[in-house]
Amino acid sequence: MSALADHHSTRAAPARKRPSWRRLPAAPISLAAGAAAWELIGQLAGMSFFPPLSTVLARLADMATSGLIVTSLADSLVNLILGFAISLAAGLVAGVAMGRYRKVEAALGVYVYALLTAPSLVFAPIFFSLLGEGRGSIVAVVVMYAMFVIIINTASAIQSVPVHLVEMARSYGAGERQVLLRVMLPAAAPMIMAGVRLGVGRAVTGMINGEMFIAVVGLGRIVTQAGGRFDSAGVLAVLLVIIAVALGAVALVQAVDRRITRWVPRTTRGNQ
Amino acid sequence: MTAAFRAGPRPARRPDVLRRLAGASLPYQLLTFTVFAAGWELYARGWGGLLIPTFTETVAATVELLGSAELWRAMYVSNQALVLGFGIAVVVGVPAGIVLGRFRLLERFADVYLNILLVTPMAAIIPLLMMSVGFGLASRVILVTIFSIVMVVVNSRTGVRQVDPSLIEMARSFGASERQIWTRVLLPGALPAIMTGIRLGVGRAVTGMVIVELLMVSTALGGLILEYRGLFKAPLLYGTIVIILAEALLLISVARWGERRLTRWAQTTTARNAR
Amino acid sequence: MGSDDYGKERALIEIRGLGKSFVGQDNETVEALRDVNLDVGENEFLTVLGPSGCGKTTLLKTIAGLIPWNDGDIRIDGTPVRGPGPDRSMVFQNFALLPWATVLDNVAFGLRMRGVGRAEREERARSLIAMVGLSGFETKRPGELSGGMQQRVGLARALAMRPRVLLMDEPFGAVDEQTRRLLQEELLSIWEEHRMTVVFITHSMEEAVLLGDRVVLMSARPGRISEIVPVPLERPRSSDVGALERSGQYVEITAYLWDRLRDMHEEHRPSKVAG
Repeated sequence: MSALADHHSTRAAPARKRPSWRRLPAAPISLAAGAAAWELIGQLAGMSFFPPLSTVLARLADMATSGLIVTSLADSLVNLILGFAISLAAGLVAGVAMGRYRKVEAALGVYVYALLTAPSLVFAPIFFSLLGEGRGSIVAVVVMYAMFVIIINTASAIQSVPVHLVEMARSYGAGERQVLLRVMLPAAAPMIMAGVRLGVGRAVTGMINGEMFIAVVGLGRIVTQAGGRFDSAGVLAVLLVIIAVALGAVALVQAVDRRITRWVPRTTRGNQ
Repeated sequence: MTAAFRAGPRPARRPDVLRRLAGASLPYQLLTFTVFAAGWELYARGWGGLLIPTFTETVAATVELLGSAELWRAMYVSNQALVLGFGIAVVVGVPAGIVLGRFRLLERFADVYLNILLVTPMAAIIPLLMMSVGFGLASRVILVTIFSIVMVVVNSRTGVRQVDPSLIEMARSFGASERQIWTRVLLPGALPAIMTGIRLGVGRAVTGMVIVELLMVSTALGGLILEYRGLFKAPLLYGTIVIILAEALLLISVARWGERRLTRWAQTTTARNAR
Repeated sequence: MGSDDYGKERALIEIRGLGKSFVGQDNETVEALRDVNLDVGENEFLTVLGPSGCGKTTLLKTIAGLIPWNDGDIRIDGTPVRGPGPDRSMVFQNFALLPWATVLDNVAFGLRMRGVGRAEREERARSLIAMVGLSGFETKRPGELSGGMQQRVGLARALAMRPRVLLMDEPFGAVDEQTRRLLQEELLSIWEEHRMTVVFITHSMEEAVLLGDRVVLMSARPGRISEIVPVPLERPRSSDVGALERSGQYVEITAYLWDRLRDMHEEHRPSKVAG
């Protein structure tokens, strides 16, 4: 989408007489302004808990060269990928089952909704007692955060597949498996992917929260440690990395989404 | 299906009741719950240790907790932060979202930050809060606000933006002033989405309340969890979790009920799509 | 000014040299209207017909004062149009009803915008609701009504203003054929009883001929008036629409309009337009 918009503006630019500032890309400007404000306020205020951006970036460079960030980031990504993969697999299966079979929905629907809205981190102590103090518990927290939104979206996506498409497939002799694979899943893909996108965002949150609570590995652990040392620059440095991970993960899912749902007309895509 | 066909017409009464039972969700919900509870009970009896209570122990501990002054004191402390923090989120977030929805230019520049706020794990700023504001009520209130306000802002913005432009044109054609367009068209039209934002915000507010107590402050409900865990009082630990979950679901249900009541007109047109 | 108008009774709506262009999605200038000259007499029923994209809705909205224009002049009874006014009210293609408001409140909406007191506006709204045959539905909301009933509400809302000019933007385009015929007959009989000036946009030749005293044919790119076709069919027409439609004159005018429209479509074959 953004690539398309860029292409547009470069082509359109010569056609207009005055370079309209409305056409400038808002996000980079906005980010630059935010960064400048951060630096300025940080310098002027001189508060220990709000260091200027330059200090934070220097701290980040330190942490990167010492290897602390890299190992923690790798640990975190392993947690994220494991947890998200489990959420995706289980979420799709459960979601399709709920969307397709009323009885499954009747049996699980309330609980899935409840777990979706419940504060997921309170389950961390339970995982702690079940799986011990280690990666398993963190992955379980990630799953707890990410899975239910995928289930809900998949279920309602399957339910909102137009009946006439299914009837059409049936009339050409498609069986249950074919209806599911050739008609329902493709038709439901845009909405499912919306759920997956939400899921990956929540997975990152779960990863950090889990790592902060069960502070054995990952970025969450160094946030907690830096907080314990009152190292605000360290906290903010890791926070920047976390934001990058979150945005990167979402962007990755969006890229996949665009490939999968290329057939969706652009006009309707804008509303999502 | 085929079996029913072969059996032919049956006496109407029994299958009717059965079918209605099969059609309703409650039996299946109960079945799920029973399977879950039984599985838990068996697992805990067979393999559970000091840390894993049985289902029945948890139920007993939950009931016991509900009668204890300690829990209600913790509830009071926790919910203070919740009420204040969420109140601020609504009072600030709804107008902010409405302004963003109406003034596109502002929104274009704020958009990137809203996206960052939506995906960033807010828990990571807890250490900064502790350093700047301390371990008191203020930092818990701020965290609850930060957790919930994004949902409120984003949904209010969407609400204002999705008001049918032809309604605004219609109002103008009948001579509505800018103020009348706001009070008679934009705000009523945005109300369902604003209420959705408030409902989702309640969920995130409870999350924020619990997270800050679990990760940093160790008071109130979160403090109870950590205390019971330290003392290996597993049933009480689980009971506290159950109570927190119950509170979260209760609050969300209340918000949902309010949402339905206030925006009944929107259900006739959108309820089917939402399912 | 238009010399051909001398000798006639003075027009209620005078449009002189109207031009309107706007910047389209691809940053190219789209000329929606070019040099439109039109007089609409007092109590005349004027229908405007043309292919999609010919600017007929734009024309209507400029008369309504909803959108600005670049060149030319629009006067209602000698007064230049500067914005929406109580002398004109509009019926919208997609009904533009407030989904959260009752039928009564929707019909009273325009009166409320003009500061009419509650008692009077409800009384007037009720009598209009009765006129369009919706008595008993006062407390229903638009979501509970069929498309035809919704447009009756839209019509009642416009008539409640007692406008001198009724502007109708393909009002029956979104309802099914049978409902459309009923609504056409009803509109005719209402108009025959309470004469007023009507500008009626449509893309149906039959509708244009059935309702109008004159049919304005517009062509696209740029949108301009290509011809004004008088419809010398007898009035009142609401009593026997069937006989009217079988009359030679009706068939002849309709066929003529279609010939002209087909020429316009030929000029804008998709292969030409796509570039």
